[in-house]
Amino acid sequence: MAEERNPRTSSDPAASSGSEPVLRAADLTKHFRLGGMFSKQVLHAVDDLNITIAEREIVALVGESGSGKSTVARLLARIYTPTRGEIYYRGRPLRSLRSRKDLLWYRGEVAIVLQDPFSAFHPVFPISHGVMRNLALHRPELSGPERRREAERVCETVGLGPKMLDRYPYEMSGGERQRIGFAQALAVRPKLILADEPVSMLDVSIRVGVLNMMAGLRDQEGVSLLYITHDLASARYVADRIVVMYAGHMVEEGPTETVLSSPKHPYTQLLLSAAAEPSEKEAEIAADSGEPPRVINPSEGCRFRWRCPYAIEKCEQVTPRPTPIGATQVACHVAVAEAERASNPASVS
Amino acid sequence: MTDPLLEVDGLTVDYLTDAADVRAVNQVSFTVDPGEFLAIVGESGCGKSTLLFAVAQLLSPPGEIVAGKVIFRGHDMVRLGRGELQSMRWRDYSIVMQSAMNALNPMKSIGAQFKDTLEAHGNVSKADIGRRSTEVMELVGIDPAHLHSYPHQLSGGMRQRAMIAMALLFTPQLVIMDEPTSALDVVAQQSLMTKIKDLQQNLGFAVIFVTHDMSVVHRYSDRVLVMYAGQIAEAARTEEVFERPLHPYTRGLMSAFPSVRGPRRELIGIPGSPPDLARPPTGCLFHPRCPDVMPACLGREPELYPVGDAEVRCLLYAEQARKAS
Repeated sequence: MAEERNPRTSSDPAASSGSEPVLRAADLTKHFRLGGMFSKQVLHAVDDLNITIAEREIVALVGESGSGKSTVARLLARIYTPTRGEIYYRGRPLRSLRSRKDLLWYRGEVAIVLQDPFSAFHPVFPISHGVMRNLALHRPELSGPERRREAERVCETVGLGPKMLDRYPYEMSGGERQRIGFAQALAVRPKLILADEPVSMLDVSIRVGVLNMMAGLRDQEGVSLLYITHDLASARYVADRIVVMYAGHMVEEGPTETVLSSPKHPYTQLLLSAAAEPSEKEAEIAADSGEPPRVINPSEGCRFRWRCPYAIEKCEQVTPRPTPIGATQVACHVAVAEAERASNPASVS
Repeated sequence: MTDPLLEVDGLTVDYLTDAADVRAVNQVSFTVDPGEFLAIVGESGCGKSTLLFAVAQLLSPPGEIVAGKVIFRGHDMVRLGRGELQSMRWRDYSIVMQSAMNALNPMKSIGAQFKDTLEAHGNVSKADIGRRSTEVMELVGIDPAHLHSYPHQLSGGMRQRAMIAMALLFTPQLVIMDEPTSALDVVAQQSLMTKIKDLQQNLGFAVIFVTHDMSVVHRYSDRVLVMYAGQIAEAARTEEVFERPLHPYTRGLMSAFPSVRGPRRELIGIPGSPPDLARPPTGCLFHPRCPDVMPACLGREPELYPVGDAEVRCLLYAEQARKAS
């Protein structure tokens, strides 16, 4: 499923510079101040994150709760403004979007699908409300009947009948609502959909349907997706590339199969060992209690070092930066040193 | 063979609503042997939590047990009075809820809640309370210093462990668990499950474990009940279910999980959604979603047919079961 794709398939005039990805974030950082006015407690939700999403690509952003992955979605959707760093949409920095018109344009290009399909819809309106409103806002050229036709078309794209539009949220199951969330996003003809844990609230029997739909959107509609999840197996199922986050830092990034078949970062290894296979009875399980990381006023050094079985002295003093190892990027002193030794056995320091 | 610890027979639970009575649990029968790990799987709305509540006698209106027996150590719990139940609860069987966040008292320290529990079941000295509390905290792998902590000071995983520690205060013979790990991250989930299994093997209590995660079922349980729309769809030993799933629904559940290590292949899942129990479909409740549906399924309600050691509610096996008998 994850073959190389032609990076230039869109005829969008907004795509200006040549090899520019759809979206690129450079040194993206978001801090939240906690407590009262004089509090010095700062929560580092995301620190120095570099991430790119190419044309027709599904990127999975994986991490446990508190790793900052939802903050990333909100930063990219411009719900939050970054503390530091910049986001480029097709080469255009988001900081330059100031007017309402610019923002509306951006929201039409990049749509977000929220985690909880049960609270994302207005309960007193039929679900056509959100879809039609998006169409009225972002595609004002459509007439009333055209809007209705378009709404029916996006409904069919996500695998729901056109009659669904007249239903109310309470009449629909979780899976149907989550599809409507995608339909609402699709109505604006986005180039990129940010999906924040779109299947975690759904039943197992329905999950696969939504995942298949996401892959279909990429293959047929040419949409790029950022798929935020804590489930490695589903990330592997749909994603072309995978980004693993821990405590606000990117720890590993690379093509899905490469990362999952030979994870370099100890955290990725831990995640992988904890991801149980329904088909295997015994697997060696790491003795890790799964304690969440501390990111309030973090000190220098690797944030995974307290849980890391390989931590060395350097991990306490220097924050590891993502370093390329083969096709992947890994932020780990030990893994990088090992890779260097393997590739260049003569120059052991 | 020893006598079963718990015997549930024809248990039926209705939710009495203004519009219609909804049968959430329909004629469910099963047994739990001492020291056995029984998993109950199914998707949301299949009645698995209602079943647990009915077994533990915790149902509140509009839910009501309309038929059936729950025989625990020789007593039919459905007929026991409030006082008798109260003395059995926590001492003989205990419950770990899905969200420890909501199950622990936020205003009291963990130690104080342990003390309440111990005092509720007899006169225990202060020294005994301290000793036992420390013991159970060590059992579940939390520093006993946290007895002085309040629930909000603990992480999600630690709260769940504290809940389990509380459930083990009297070393009951049966611990009922309602998705205790589903609110946790994968790593914490794995570590908690390993702990539960260790404790179960060392202390020898039986577990009824409700989940929707087939991988947890496979790794830890001895026997599985697959529930669909309030009924048992399939009941069998865990290995058998995974080697040879009989019911089309069970097969669907098994193939709904993408794999992290195996070959990458297209999955189908189970199309459609679970039935509305206020207006159940005719015949087999699974027929609108079933890939192997036959004309007979629309009219005839399948019974639980024995196939080897397993039982399965599907007309595909009706003929086979008839011949065998």
